Amino acid sequence: MENFETSIAELLEEEAVGLSDELQSFEAWDSLTVLSIIAFCDSEYSVPLSAEEIEGSGTVSGLKELVESKM
Amino acid sequence: MNLKFRNKKITGILTVLPENEVNFDDEIDNYDFSRAQSMKLKLIMGYGKRRVVKEGTAVSDLCIYGMNYLFDKGLLKKEDIDGIVLVTQSPDHFVPATSHIIQGKLGLKQDMMLLDINQACSGYPVGLNQAFMLLDQEEVNKVVLLNADMMSSKVSAKDRGSRPLTGDAASITIVEKDSNDSTIYGTINVDGTGAESLIIPAGGFKMPSTPETAKLQTDKNGNSRALDHLVMKGDDVFNFVQKQVPPMIDNLLSKANCDKDDVDYYLFHQPNKFMLKKLADKMGVPHDKMPHNVVENFGNASGVSVPTAITFNLADKLLTESFLVCIAGFGAGLSWASLLMKLEKLDFCEMIDYK
Repeated sequence: MENFETSIAELLEEEAVGLSDELQSFEAWDSLTVLSIIAFCDSEYSVPLSAEEIEGSGTVSGLKELVESKM
Repeated sequence: MNLKFRNKKITGILTVLPENEVNFDDEIDNYDFSRAQSMKLKLIMGYGKRRVVKEGTAVSDLCIYGMNYLFDKGLLKKEDIDGIVLVTQSPDHFVPATSHIIQGKLGLKQDMMLLDINQACSGYPVGLNQAFMLLDQEEVNKVVLLNADMMSSKVSAKDRGSRPLTGDAASITIVEKDSNDSTIYGTINVDGTGAESLIIPAGGFKMPSTPETAKLQTDKNGNSRALDHLVMKGDDVFNFVQKQVPPMIDNLLSKANCDKDDVDYYLFHQPNKFMLKKLADKMGVPHDKMPHNVVENFGNASGVSVPTAITFNLADKLLTESFLVCIAGFGAGLSWASLLMKLEKLDFCEMIDYK
């Protein structure tokens, strides 16, 4: 999980993201970004996530914990 | 479920494309999204041109047009057809079955089997499996598989998720007995608990269409659709495909004692470019062995997408060469199916425009 923040930043088209950042506050946040995150978590960690789970996770750290809880 | 067929082959494939071409760029302003968002979506999903029917055109019209083309060119004889399998989710009527309308209008013999199958994106392998089963009968020597759908009218004009990738089309595949001692391997799986992942809620007998079911409602992603429209839970479908398709193919190949690298082409259903690339990556298949260019050129016409991928990408080659191909379809139902077979020296393999 060491590259998690870097990868999420890339998907969100940001230079960097902080763990406490709200997912929905990013300019690039939309349904396509959610799908990109689903694909990333599936290929990188073999963790299937639903759009609802991702949206409900709130922050970058919330998303990270969600993935870790399913690994 | 694993299936196995002996001494059957495909001898010709024709795709019939409706004449109306719609360009995503011309539709962008229909959606309640920024232009930048829509352009990003276009790039990643592979939105581009798509073919749709004109108002008044029915599935039977596309099929009859294609069949007459084959009769006129001498590529198919009416009296040789012992069965028709039509796979569609957009029948002309609820009653009677559309295959019967086609048989009647074409003036085909009465001594034959007609079968309509309600399958969507897995419709090509499901239909082929069924056609092969009919060929096990002594008196059945040639079966015509028709795949045809026109779901463009069932996707909301304000649904950015489904509308830009939905196309209409029909295909005709000729399936015959083969004397070359060949074996075809197949699989079929279903999961009806996922029925709501891809559904048109209204318009059937359970919930007939009314002015109420035609009212648009906006979801949290900003897409508007009515109960009369197709609704796709994109994340459910994505996860379903990533979870079920790779093991299905592993199982198919192991039953056939075949190595992943020995397959020349993976001819898969064409939901969108994004999903196919992810699928190829997960399966460890090079992208050039799995064509993903149907959606951007013609749109996804459900069960017709595999024959479209074949006639668009391999038309000339298949007239003279031989390939080991892995065919797969996956979608509404949920349903997923696959085939491993040789495609070689077809009598015809082409695409025509419906006029």
